[in-house]
Amino acid sequence: MNPDILVVAEHMKGELSDITLEMLACGRELADATSSGLTCVTLTNNASPFKSLPLTVNQSIIIENPALESFNPETYSKILSHLIKELSPRLVLLGHTGIGMDIAGALSISLGAPVIGNCVNIKVEDKKLLFSSKLYGGKLTAQSEIEEGLSIGLLMPGSYPKEGGMRNDVPQVDIKSSPVSLDGIKIQFKELLEPEVGDIDITKNPVLIGAGRGVQNANNIKTLEELATLLGGAVCATRPVIDQGWLPRTRQVGRSGMIVKPRLYMALGVSGAPEHVEGMKDSDLIIAVNTDPSAPIFEVAHYGATIDMQDLIPILTEKIKELKGGA
Amino acid sequence: MKIAAILRQVPDVVEELVIAEDGQSLDETEVMYITNELDENALEQALILKGRHDAQVTAYGVGGDEARDALATSVAKGADEAVFIPLEFKDRGDSHKLAAHLVNVLKEGGYNLVLTGVQATDEVDYGLGGLLAANLSWSYIGGLAAVEIDPSGSKAVVKKEYPGGRLGLMEVTLPAILGMQASEQPPRYVPVSKVMQTKKTLQVKEVKTPAPETTGVHIKKLLKPEVGAKAEMIEGDEEKIATTIANLLKERGLL
Repeated sequence: MNPDILVVAEHMKGELSDITLEMLACGRELADATSSGLTCVTLTNNASPFKSLPLTVNQSIIIENPALESFNPETYSKILSHLIKELSPRLVLLGHTGIGMDIAGALSISLGAPVIGNCVNIKVEDKKLLFSSKLYGGKLTAQSEIEEGLSIGLLMPGSYPKEGGMRNDVPQVDIKSSPVSLDGIKIQFKELLEPEVGDIDITKNPVLIGAGRGVQNANNIKTLEELATLLGGAVCATRPVIDQGWLPRTRQVGRSGMIVKPRLYMALGVSGAPEHVEGMKDSDLIIAVNTDPSAPIFEVAHYGATIDMQDLIPILTEKIKELKGGA
Repeated sequence: MKIAAILRQVPDVVEELVIAEDGQSLDETEVMYITNELDENALEQALILKGRHDAQVTAYGVGGDEARDALATSVAKGADEAVFIPLEFKDRGDSHKLAAHLVNVLKEGGYNLVLTGVQATDEVDYGLGGLLAANLSWSYIGGLAAVEIDPSGSKAVVKKEYPGGRLGLMEVTLPAILGMQASEQPPRYVPVSKVMQTKKTLQVKEVKTPAPETTGVHIKKLLKPEVGAKAEMIEGDEEKIATTIANLLKERGLL
Protein backbone atom coordinates (compact mmCIF):
# COMPACT_ATOMS: atom_id res chain seq x y z
CA MET A 1 0.00 0.00 0.00
CA ASN A 2 1.32 3.44 -0.85
CA PRO A 3 1.59 5.83 2.07
CA ASP A 4 -0.78 8.17 0.33
CA ILE A 5 -1.14 10.55 3.23
CA LEU A 6 1.99 11.56 5.14
CA VAL A 7 1.89 13.52 8.40
CA VAL A 8 4.98 15.30 9.68
CA ALA A 9 4.89 15.03 13.47
CA GLU A 10 5.60 17.92 15.81
CA HIS A 11 6.80 17.30 19.33
CA MET A 12 8.35 19.04 22.26
CA LYS A 13 10.16 17.63 25.30
CA GLY A 14 9.46 14.02 24.26
CA GLU A 15 5.73 14.45 23.72
CA LEU A 16 3.78 14.70 20.48
CA SER A 17 2.04 18.07 20.18
CA ASP A 18 -1.75 18.16 19.83
CA ILE A 19 -1.41 19.32 16.22
CA THR A 20 0.23 15.98 15.36
CA LEU A 21 -2.80 14.03 16.59
CA GLU A 22 -5.13 16.48 14.86
CA MET A 23 -3.26 16.02 11.55
CA LEU A 24 -3.48 12.25 12.02
CA ALA A 25 -7.25 12.54 12.60
CA CYS A 26 -7.54 14.48 9.33
CA GLY A 27 -5.21 12.04 7.56
CA ARG A 28 -7.20 9.05 8.84
CA GLU A 29 -10.46 10.43 7.42
CA LEU A 30 -8.80 11.00 4.03
CA ALA A 31 -7.03 7.64 4.02
CA ASP A 32 -10.31 5.86 4.80
CA ALA A 33 -12.13 7.81 2.09
CA THR A 34 -9.54 6.87 -0.52
CA SER A 35 -8.57 3.38 0.71
CA SER A 36 -5.01 4.51 1.06
CA GLY A 37 -2.38 4.41 3.75
CA LEU A 38 -1.48 6.90 6.45
CA THR A 39 2.13 7.39 7.55
CA CYS A 40 3.50 9.52 10.38
CA VAL A 41 7.10 10.74 10.21
CA THR A 42 8.78 11.84 13.43
CA LEU A 43 12.23 13.48 13.37
CA THR A 44 14.04 13.24 16.70
CA ASN A 45 17.35 12.59 18.45
CA ASN A 46 15.67 9.98 20.67
CA ALA A 47 13.08 7.54 19.29
CA SER A 48 12.16 6.01 22.68
CA PRO A 49 9.21 8.24 23.64
CA PHE A 50 7.64 7.81 20.19
CA LYS A 51 8.08 4.14 19.30
CA SER A 52 5.18 2.68 21.30
CA LEU A 53 2.44 5.21 20.69
CA PRO A 54 -1.00 3.91 19.60
CA LEU A 55 -1.33 6.23 16.61
CA THR A 56 -3.98 5.74 13.95
CA VAL A 57 -1.45 5.12 11.19
CA ASN A 58 -0.52 2.25 8.92
CA GLN A 59 3.12 2.98 9.43
CA SER A 60 5.17 5.15 11.72
CA ILE A 61 8.64 6.21 10.57
CA ILE A 62 11.04 7.66 13.10
CA ILE A 63 14.22 9.30 11.86
CA GLU A 64 16.72 9.32 14.71
CA ASN A 65 19.82 11.49 14.57
CA PRO A 66 21.73 13.57 17.17
CA ALA A 67 21.32 16.63 14.91
CA LEU A 68 17.54 16.41 15.46
CA GLU A 69 17.67 17.32 19.15
CA SER A 70 15.81 20.55 18.38
CA PHE A 71 13.73 21.68 15.44
CA ASN A 72 15.84 23.16 12.67
CA PRO A 73 14.10 24.15 9.41
CA GLU A 74 17.11 23.22 7.33
CA THR A 75 17.63 19.70 8.71
CA TYR A 76 13.89 19.02 8.62
CA SER A 77 13.59 20.22 5.00
CA LYS A 78 16.59 18.17 3.85
CA ILE A 79 15.41 14.93 5.41
CA LEU A 80 11.74 15.34 4.55
CA SER A 81 12.41 16.29 0.95
CA HIS A 82 14.38 13.07 0.49
CA LEU A 83 11.85 10.93 2.32
CA ILE A 84 8.80 12.36 0.53
CA LYS A 85 10.42 11.76 -2.86
CA GLU A 86 11.07 8.16 -1.81
CA LEU A 87 7.59 7.51 -0.39
CA SER A 88 5.74 9.46 -3.09
CA PRO A 89 2.57 10.32 -1.14
CA ARG A 90 -0.36 12.25 -2.55
CA LEU A 91 -0.70 14.62 0.38
CA VAL A 92 1.78 15.86 2.98
CA LEU A 93 0.21 17.36 6.08
CA LEU A 94 2.17 19.93 8.08
CA GLY A 95 0.91 22.04 10.96
CA HIS A 96 0.13 25.68 10.22
CA THR A 97 2.54 26.30 13.05
CA GLY A 98 6.02 27.69 13.60
CA ILE A 99 7.42 24.35 12.41
CA GLY A 100 5.21 23.63 9.38
CA MET A 101 5.40 27.24 8.20
CA ASP A 102 9.21 27.14 8.32
CA ILE A 103 9.56 24.14 6.02
CA ALA A 104 6.57 24.47 3.64
CA GLY A 105 8.35 26.77 1.18
CA ALA A 106 11.50 24.67 0.91
CA LEU A 107 9.48 21.46 0.44
CA SER A 108 7.23 23.11 -2.13
CA ILE A 109 10.22 24.12 -4.27
CA SER A 110 12.22 20.91 -3.88
CA LEU A 111 9.18 18.71 -4.58
CA GLY A 112 7.44 20.97 -7.10
CA ALA A 113 4.27 20.73 -5.02
CA PRO A 114 1.58 23.36 -4.41
CA VAL A 115 0.94 24.45 -0.82
CA ILE A 116 -2.32 25.41 0.82
CA GLY A 117 -2.06 27.24 4.14
CA ASN A 118 -4.55 27.84 6.97
CA CYS A 119 -6.49 24.63 6.24
CA VAL A 120 -9.43 23.86 8.52
CA ASN A 121 -10.87 20.95 6.55
CA ILE A 122 -9.66 18.65 3.78
CA LYS A 123 -11.93 16.19 2.02
CA VAL A 124 -12.13 14.17 -1.16
CA GLU A 125 -14.69 15.14 -3.80
CA ASP A 126 -14.82 13.46 -7.21
CA LYS A 127 -11.43 11.91 -6.46
CA LYS A 128 -9.92 15.40 -5.98
CA LEU A 129 -8.69 16.89 -2.75
CA LEU A 130 -10.84 19.82 -1.65
CA PHE A 131 -9.20 22.16 0.87
CA SER A 132 -11.12 24.64 3.03
CA SER A 133 -8.82 27.34 4.36
CA LYS A 134 -9.18 30.60 6.24
CA LEU A 135 -8.33 33.88 4.53
CA TYR A 136 -8.30 37.54 5.56
CA GLY A 137 -7.83 37.02 9.30
CA GLY A 138 -10.46 34.27 9.29
CA LYS A 139 -13.20 36.48 7.78
CA LEU A 140 -13.59 34.34 4.66
CA THR A 141 -13.19 30.67 3.86
CA ALA A 142 -11.66 29.60 0.53
CA GLN A 143 -12.42 26.25 -1.05
CA SER A 144 -9.56 25.19 -3.29
CA GLU A 145 -8.94 22.16 -5.40
CA ILE A 146 -5.84 20.21 -6.26
CA GLU A 147 -6.44 17.91 -9.18
CA GLU A 148 -3.56 15.49 -9.10
CA GLY A 149 0.01 15.03 -7.97
CA LEU A 150 1.54 15.79 -4.61
CA SER A 151 0.21 18.66 -2.56
CA ILE A 152 1.15 20.08 0.82
CA GLY A 153 -1.51 21.17 3.29
CA LEU A 154 -0.85 23.26 6.40
CA LEU A 155 -3.50 22.35 8.97
CA MET A 156 -4.66 24.95 11.49
CA PRO A 157 -4.43 23.74 15.10
CA GLY A 158 -7.81 22.83 16.55
CA SER A 159 -9.41 21.91 13.22
CA TYR A 160 -9.80 18.19 13.98
CA PRO A 161 -10.33 16.35 17.30
CA LYS A 162 -7.02 15.05 18.59
CA GLU A 163 -8.73 11.86 19.84
CA GLY A 164 -9.09 10.89 16.17
CA GLY A 165 -5.32 10.54 15.93
CA MET A 166 -5.18 7.57 18.31
CA ARG A 167 -6.24 3.92 18.15
CA ASN A 168 -5.97 0.97 20.57
CA ASP A 169 -2.82 -0.77 19.39
CA VAL A 170 0.67 0.22 18.30
CA PRO A 171 1.28 0.36 14.56
CA GLN A 172 4.34 -0.85 12.69
CA VAL A 173 7.28 1.41 13.59
CA ASP A 174 10.46 1.81 11.52
CA ILE A 175 13.35 3.57 13.18
CA LYS A 176 15.89 4.83 10.65
CA SER A 177 18.92 7.08 10.60
CA SER A 178 18.93 10.21 8.47
CA PRO A 179 18.81 9.29 4.77
CA VAL A 180 20.86 12.39 3.86
CA SER A 181 24.02 14.04 5.13
CA LEU A 182 23.34 16.79 7.64
CA ASP A 183 26.75 18.44 7.23
CA GLY A 184 27.05 22.08 6.27
CA ILE A 185 23.82 23.19 7.94
CA LYS A 186 23.65 27.00 8.03
CA ILE A 187 21.13 27.34 10.87
CA GLN A 188 22.11 26.41 14.42
CA PHE A 189 19.74 26.08 17.36
CA LYS A 190 21.31 27.68 20.44
CA GLU A 191 18.84 27.48 23.31
CA LEU A 192 15.21 27.56 24.34
CA LEU A 193 14.33 30.60 26.44
CA GLU A 194 11.47 30.01 28.88
CA PRO A 195 9.00 32.89 29.31
CA GLU A 196 9.64 35.36 32.07
CA VAL A 197 7.45 34.74 35.07
CA GLY A 198 4.59 37.23 34.96
CA ASP A 199 2.60 38.84 37.74
CA ILE A 200 -0.35 36.59 36.89
CA ASP A 201 -0.46 33.12 35.36
CA ILE A 202 -3.39 33.48 32.98
CA THR A 203 -3.44 29.73 32.28
CA LYS A 204 -4.64 29.17 35.88
CA ASN A 205 -7.21 31.96 36.00
CA PRO A 206 -10.89 30.88 35.96
CA VAL A 207 -12.09 34.15 34.41
CA LEU A 208 -10.33 36.01 31.63
CA ILE A 209 -11.30 39.28 30.01
CA GLY A 210 -9.67 39.21 26.57
CA ALA A 211 -8.82 42.62 25.13
CA GLY A 212 -8.61 42.97 21.36
CA ARG A 213 -7.81 45.84 19.07
CA GLY A 214 -11.22 47.35 19.85
CA VAL A 215 -9.83 48.41 23.24
CA GLN A 216 -8.22 51.28 21.26
CA ASN A 217 -5.81 52.62 23.91
CA ALA A 218 -3.93 51.74 27.07
CA ASN A 219 -6.27 53.75 29.31
CA ASN A 220 -9.21 51.54 28.40
CA ILE A 221 -7.34 48.52 29.77
CA LYS A 222 -7.99 49.96 33.24
CA THR A 223 -11.76 49.74 32.69
CA LEU A 224 -11.33 46.08 31.77
CA GLU A 225 -9.19 45.47 34.84
CA GLU A 226 -11.99 46.78 37.03
CA LEU A 227 -14.41 44.34 35.39
CA ALA A 228 -11.91 41.47 35.68
CA THR A 229 -11.27 42.17 39.37
CA LEU A 230 -15.02 42.22 40.01
CA LEU A 231 -15.27 38.74 38.44
CA GLY A 232 -12.18 37.42 40.24
CA GLY A 233 -10.28 37.22 36.98
CA ALA A 234 -7.56 38.90 34.95
CA VAL A 235 -7.16 40.78 31.70
CA CYS A 236 -5.37 39.07 28.83
CA ALA A 237 -5.05 40.17 25.22
CA THR A 238 -4.55 39.48 21.55
CA ARG A 239 -1.18 39.96 19.94
CA PRO A 240 -1.74 43.53 18.56
CA VAL A 241 -2.60 44.78 22.07
CA ILE A 242 0.52 43.13 23.51
CA ASP A 243 2.70 44.45 20.67
CA GLN A 244 1.54 47.97 21.55
CA GLY A 245 2.98 47.41 25.02
CA TRP A 246 -0.38 47.91 26.75
CA LEU A 247 -0.06 44.62 28.66
CA PRO A 248 2.97 42.40 29.39
CA ARG A 249 3.76 39.54 26.98
CA THR A 250 2.86 37.01 29.69
CA ARG A 251 -0.80 38.01 29.12
CA GLN A 252 -0.83 37.10 25.41
CA VAL A 253 -3.32 34.42 24.36
CA GLY A 254 -2.82 32.56 21.10
CA ARG A 255 -0.41 30.66 18.89
CA SER A 256 2.77 32.15 20.29
CA GLY A 257 1.29 33.10 23.64
CA MET A 258 -0.62 31.06 26.18
CA ILE A 259 -3.28 28.42 25.62
CA VAL A 260 -6.08 29.10 28.12
CA LYS A 261 -9.22 27.19 29.11
CA PRO A 262 -10.96 29.35 31.74
CA ARG A 263 -14.55 28.94 32.93
CA LEU A 264 -15.33 32.30 31.32
CA TYR A 265 -13.55 34.04 28.46
CA MET A 266 -15.04 37.42 27.60
CA ALA A 267 -13.62 38.54 24.24
CA LEU A 268 -13.97 42.32 23.98
CA GLY A 269 -13.13 44.01 20.69
CA VAL A 270 -11.48 40.78 19.56
CA SER A 271 -11.94 40.01 15.86
CA GLY A 272 -11.10 36.33 16.23
CA ALA A 273 -8.02 35.93 14.04
CA PRO A 274 -7.10 32.23 13.81
CA GLU A 275 -3.85 32.79 15.75
CA HIS A 276 -5.81 34.10 18.75
CA VAL A 277 -8.68 31.61 18.55
CA GLU A 278 -6.17 28.76 18.80
CA GLY A 279 -5.39 29.90 22.34
CA MET A 280 -8.89 30.29 23.80
CA LYS A 281 -11.40 28.20 21.82
CA ASP A 282 -11.67 25.51 24.50
CA SER A 283 -12.86 27.90 27.21
CA ASP A 284 -16.04 26.69 28.98
CA LEU A 285 -18.06 29.82 28.20
CA ILE A 286 -17.09 32.39 25.58
CA ILE A 287 -18.94 35.70 25.35
CA ALA A 288 -17.82 37.94 22.47
CA VAL A 289 -18.53 41.63 21.97
CA ASN A 290 -17.56 43.22 18.66
CA THR A 291 -19.11 45.91 16.46
CA ASP A 292 -18.50 43.83 13.31
CA PRO A 293 -21.23 41.19 12.85
CA SER A 294 -18.96 39.25 10.46
CA ALA A 295 -16.10 39.01 12.99
CA PRO A 296 -14.92 35.37 13.08
CA ILE A 297 -14.92 35.42 16.89
CA PHE A 298 -18.68 34.77 16.65
CA GLU A 299 -17.90 31.40 15.09
CA VAL A 300 -16.30 30.19 18.32
CA ALA A 301 -18.24 32.21 20.92
CA HIS A 302 -21.24 30.74 22.73
CA TYR A 303 -22.86 34.16 23.11
CA GLY A 304 -22.25 37.31 21.12
CA ALA A 305 -23.29 40.93 20.90
CA THR A 306 -22.60 43.44 18.13
CA ILE A 307 -22.05 46.58 20.14
CA ASP A 308 -19.15 48.89 20.94
CA MET A 309 -17.40 47.47 23.98
CA GLN A 310 -16.67 51.01 25.20
CA ASP A 311 -20.42 51.64 25.51
CA LEU A 312 -21.12 48.29 27.11
CA ILE A 313 -18.41 47.84 29.74
CA PRO A 314 -19.33 50.63 32.20
CA ILE A 315 -22.98 49.51 32.21
CA LEU A 316 -22.06 45.83 32.46
CA THR A 317 -19.73 46.58 35.37
CA GLU A 318 -22.54 48.37 37.20
CA LYS A 319 -25.01 45.52 36.53
CA ILE A 320 -22.56 42.98 37.90
CA LYS A 321 -21.94 45.12 40.98
CA GLU A 322 -25.71 45.27 41.55
CA LEU A 323 -26.13 41.51 41.19
CA LYS A 324 -23.16 40.76 43.43
CA GLY A 325 -24.39 43.29 45.99
CA GLY A 326 -27.78 41.64 46.06
CA ALA A 327 -26.42 38.12 46.26
CA MET B 1 25.17 45.51 5.14
CA LYS B 2 22.25 45.61 2.71
CA ILE B 3 18.76 44.74 3.94
CA ALA B 4 15.52 44.46 1.95
CA ALA B 5 12.00 44.52 3.40
CA ILE B 6 9.01 43.25 1.40
CA LEU B 7 5.75 45.17 1.88
CA ARG B 8 2.64 43.50 0.47
CA GLN B 9 -0.57 45.43 -0.04
CA VAL B 10 -3.48 43.36 1.29
CA PRO B 11 -7.22 43.98 1.71
CA ASP B 12 -8.04 45.78 4.95
CA VAL B 13 -10.11 43.24 6.87
CA VAL B 14 -11.61 45.97 9.04
CA GLU B 15 -13.60 46.97 5.95
CA GLU B 16 -16.39 44.79 4.57
CA LEU B 17 -15.05 42.18 2.16
CA VAL B 18 -17.25 41.91 -0.94
CA ILE B 19 -17.06 38.68 -2.92
CA ALA B 20 -17.08 39.20 -6.71
CA GLU B 21 -19.76 37.75 -8.98
CA ASP B 22 -17.50 34.85 -9.94
CA GLY B 23 -17.70 33.72 -6.31
CA GLN B 24 -13.98 33.00 -6.34
CA SER B 25 -12.35 36.35 -5.66
CA LEU B 26 -12.92 39.69 -3.98
CA ASP B 27 -14.64 42.50 -5.86
CA GLU B 28 -11.62 44.60 -6.84
CA THR B 29 -13.61 47.85 -6.83
CA GLU B 30 -14.62 47.39 -3.18
CA VAL B 31 -11.22 46.55 -1.71
CA MET B 32 -9.45 49.00 0.58
CA TYR B 33 -5.75 48.25 0.96
CA ILE B 34 -3.31 48.37 3.81
CA THR B 35 0.24 47.13 4.12
CA ASN B 36 0.27 43.59 5.48
CA GLU B 37 0.71 44.10 9.20
CA LEU B 38 3.50 41.57 9.65
CA ASP B 39 5.36 43.17 6.74
CA GLU B 40 5.22 46.44 8.70
CA ASN B 41 7.00 44.54 11.48
CA ALA B 42 9.59 43.36 8.96
CA LEU B 43 10.26 46.96 7.88
CA GLU B 44 10.50 48.07 11.50
CA GLN B 45 13.04 45.35 12.28
CA ALA B 46 15.03 46.36 9.17
CA LEU B 47 15.07 49.98 10.38
CA ILE B 48 16.14 48.89 13.88
CA LEU B 49 19.05 46.97 12.28
CA LYS B 50 19.88 50.00 10.17
CA GLY B 51 20.21 52.04 13.37
CA ARG B 52 22.54 49.45 14.90
CA HIS B 53 24.71 48.54 11.93
CA ASP B 54 24.57 51.50 9.59
CA ALA B 55 22.85 49.24 7.08
CA GLN B 56 21.19 50.32 3.86
CA VAL B 57 17.48 49.44 3.75
CA THR B 58 15.51 48.95 0.54
CA ALA B 59 11.72 48.77 0.78
CA TYR B 60 9.95 46.69 -1.88
CA GLY B 61 6.30 47.65 -2.36
CA VAL B 62 4.27 44.91 -3.99
CA GLY B 63 0.74 45.21 -5.36
CA GLY B 64 -1.21 48.01 -7.04
CA ASP B 65 -0.59 51.76 -6.95
CA GLU B 66 -1.36 51.78 -3.22
CA ALA B 67 2.08 50.26 -2.77
CA ARG B 68 3.59 53.63 -3.78
CA ASP B 69 2.03 55.23 -0.69
CA ALA B 70 3.46 52.46 1.47
CA LEU B 71 6.86 53.12 -0.08
CA ALA B 72 6.63 56.85 0.68
CA THR B 73 5.81 56.00 4.29
CA SER B 74 8.76 53.56 4.41
CA VAL B 75 11.20 56.20 3.17
CA ALA B 76 9.73 58.78 5.58
CA LYS B 77 10.40 56.25 8.35
CA GLY B 78 14.02 55.82 7.29
CA ALA B 79 14.29 53.40 4.36
CA ASP B 80 17.02 54.45 1.90
CA GLU B 81 15.54 53.16 -1.31
CA ALA B 82 12.07 52.34 -2.67
CA VAL B 83 11.27 49.78 -5.33
CA PHE B 84 7.76 49.21 -6.69
CA ILE B 85 6.85 45.77 -8.08
CA PRO B 86 3.44 46.08 -9.74
CA LEU B 87 1.34 42.97 -9.42
CA GLU B 88 -1.98 42.35 -11.12
CA PHE B 89 -5.00 41.98 -8.85
CA LYS B 90 -5.55 38.35 -9.83
CA ASP B 91 -1.97 37.44 -8.91
CA ARG B 92 -2.01 38.90 -5.40
CA GLY B 93 -2.27 36.42 -2.56
CA ASP B 94 -0.31 33.84 -4.58
CA SER B 95 3.01 33.59 -2.79
CA HIS B 96 4.47 31.25 -5.38
CA LYS B 97 3.88 33.84 -8.10
CA LEU B 98 5.14 36.66 -5.92
CA ALA B 99 8.30 34.72 -5.06
CA ALA B 100 8.91 34.07 -8.75
CA HIS B 101 8.51 37.82 -9.43
CA LEU B 102 10.91 38.80 -6.66
CA VAL B 103 13.65 36.23 -6.86
CA ASN B 104 15.74 37.79 -9.64
CA VAL B 105 15.31 41.32 -8.30
CA LEU B 106 16.56 40.23 -4.89
CA LYS B 107 19.41 38.24 -6.41
CA GLU B 108 20.63 41.30 -8.28
CA GLY B 109 20.25 43.51 -5.20
CA GLY B 110 23.14 41.82 -3.38
CA TYR B 111 21.38 41.75 -0.02
CA ASN B 112 22.72 40.19 3.16
CA LEU B 113 19.27 39.94 4.64
CA VAL B 114 15.69 40.02 3.32
CA LEU B 115 12.93 40.54 5.88
CA THR B 116 9.28 39.79 5.23
CA GLY B 117 6.18 39.18 7.34
CA VAL B 118 5.89 35.51 8.25
CA GLN B 119 2.52 35.44 6.50
CA ALA B 120 0.05 37.69 4.72
CA THR B 121 -3.69 37.82 5.32
CA ASP B 122 -4.48 37.22 1.64
CA GLU B 123 -2.24 34.18 1.08
CA VAL B 124 -4.07 31.13 -0.22
CA ASP B 125 -0.90 29.13 -0.64
CA TYR B 126 1.79 29.81 1.90
CA GLY B 127 5.34 30.76 2.41
CA LEU B 128 6.81 33.79 0.61
CA GLY B 129 9.98 33.78 2.74
CA GLY B 130 10.62 30.05 2.47
CA LEU B 131 9.90 30.05 -1.26
CA LEU B 132 12.32 32.93 -1.88
CA ALA B 133 15.00 31.26 0.21
CA ALA B 134 14.61 27.93 -1.62
CA ASN B 135 14.84 29.70 -4.98
CA LEU B 136 17.93 31.64 -3.91
CA SER B 137 19.53 28.70 -2.02
CA TRP B 138 19.61 30.87 1.11
CA SER B 139 18.51 29.93 4.61
CA TYR B 140 15.02 30.72 5.86
CA ILE B 141 13.59 30.89 9.31
CA GLY B 142 10.31 32.47 10.33
CA GLY B 143 8.06 33.31 13.26
CA LEU B 144 10.70 35.70 14.59
CA ALA B 145 10.39 38.43 17.19
CA ALA B 146 13.97 39.79 17.23
CA VAL B 147 17.08 39.86 15.02
CA GLU B 148 20.67 40.78 15.83
CA ILE B 149 23.64 40.74 13.47
CA ASP B 150 26.95 39.50 14.85
CA PRO B 151 29.93 41.90 14.63
CA SER B 152 31.45 40.05 11.65
CA GLY B 153 28.27 40.62 9.65
CA SER B 154 28.23 36.98 8.60
CA LYS B 155 25.55 35.68 10.94
CA ALA B 156 22.24 36.73 12.45
CA VAL B 157 21.09 35.66 15.90
CA VAL B 158 17.30 35.45 15.91
CA LYS B 159 14.56 34.78 18.43
CA LYS B 160 11.89 32.44 17.12
CA GLU B 161 8.53 32.27 18.86
CA TYR B 162 7.43 28.89 20.23
CA PRO B 163 4.08 28.01 21.84
CA GLY B 164 3.60 28.92 25.47
CA GLY B 165 5.59 32.14 25.25
CA ARG B 166 8.92 30.34 24.75
CA LEU B 167 11.60 31.70 22.43
CA GLY B 168 14.14 29.67 20.48
CA LEU B 169 17.52 31.33 20.06
CA MET B 170 18.93 30.41 16.64
CA GLU B 171 21.98 31.44 14.64
CA VAL B 172 21.64 31.82 10.86
CA THR B 173 24.47 32.23 8.35
CA LEU B 174 23.86 35.14 5.98
CA PRO B 175 22.55 35.76 3.39
CA ALA B 176 19.17 34.70 4.67
CA ILE B 177 15.47 35.42 4.43
CA LEU B 178 13.74 35.99 7.76
CA GLY B 179 9.98 35.82 8.38
CA MET B 180 9.00 38.33 11.04
CA GLN B 181 6.07 37.74 13.37
CA ALA B 182 6.83 40.79 15.48
CA SER B 183 9.58 43.39 15.70
CA GLU B 184 11.61 44.36 18.74
CA GLN B 185 9.44 47.46 19.10
CA PRO B 186 6.08 48.40 17.56
CA PRO B 187 6.34 49.94 14.06
CA ARG B 188 7.41 53.55 14.41
CA TYR B 189 4.96 56.36 13.83
CA VAL B 190 5.62 58.89 11.13
CA PRO B 191 3.51 62.06 10.82
CA VAL B 192 1.42 62.41 7.65
CA SER B 193 3.11 65.75 6.98
CA LYS B 194 6.49 64.01 6.77
CA VAL B 195 5.10 61.37 4.38
CA MET B 196 3.65 64.16 2.18
CA GLN B 197 7.00 65.95 2.24
CA THR B 198 8.80 62.72 1.31
CA LYS B 199 6.44 62.11 -1.61
CA LYS B 200 7.55 65.40 -3.24
CA THR B 201 11.11 64.18 -3.75
CA LEU B 202 10.63 60.42 -3.64
CA GLN B 203 12.41 58.41 -6.30
CA VAL B 204 10.63 55.10 -6.76
CA LYS B 205 12.31 52.54 -8.98
CA GLU B 206 9.69 50.45 -10.77
CA VAL B 207 10.56 46.92 -11.77
CA LYS B 208 8.15 45.11 -14.06
CA THR B 209 8.75 41.40 -14.26
CA PRO B 210 6.91 39.01 -16.57
CA ALA B 211 4.14 37.04 -14.85
CA PRO B 212 5.64 33.65 -14.09
CA GLU B 213 3.94 30.30 -14.57
CA THR B 214 3.69 28.55 -11.23
CA THR B 215 2.07 25.52 -9.73
CA GLY B 216 -0.54 27.60 -7.93
CA VAL B 217 -3.73 26.75 -6.19
CA HIS B 218 -7.13 27.19 -7.81
CA ILE B 219 -9.84 28.74 -5.61
CA LYS B 220 -13.25 27.30 -6.45
CA LYS B 221 -15.28 29.30 -4.03
CA LEU B 222 -14.98 32.06 -1.43
CA LEU B 223 -17.44 31.83 1.43
CA LYS B 224 -18.49 34.16 4.21
CA PRO B 225 -19.26 32.61 7.57
CA GLU B 226 -22.89 32.55 8.55
CA VAL B 227 -23.34 35.41 11.02
CA GLY B 228 -23.38 34.01 14.52
CA ALA B 229 -23.16 30.49 13.09
CA LYS B 230 -22.37 29.28 16.54
CA ALA B 231 -22.90 32.18 18.92
CA GLU B 232 -26.33 32.93 20.27
CA MET B 233 -26.57 36.64 19.52
CA ILE B 234 -27.82 38.93 22.29
CA GLU B 235 -29.92 41.69 20.77
CA GLY B 236 -30.91 45.11 22.12
CA ASP B 237 -29.26 48.31 23.34
CA GLU B 238 -26.27 48.40 25.71
CA GLU B 239 -28.58 48.38 28.76
CA LYS B 240 -30.38 45.22 27.61
CA ILE B 241 -27.19 43.46 26.51
CA ALA B 242 -25.45 44.29 29.80
CA THR B 243 -28.42 42.97 31.80
CA THR B 244 -28.53 39.75 29.75
CA ILE B 245 -24.79 39.11 30.15
CA ALA B 246 -24.83 39.87 33.89
CA ASN B 247 -27.79 37.50 34.40
CA LEU B 248 -26.06 34.84 32.34
CA LEU B 249 -22.95 35.07 34.51
CA LYS B 250 -25.04 34.77 37.65
CA GLU B 251 -26.87 31.71 36.26
CA ARG B 252 -23.54 30.05 35.50
CA GLY B 253 -22.30 30.68 39.03
CA LEU B 254 -19.65 33.10 37.83
CA LEU B 255 -20.61 35.97 40.16
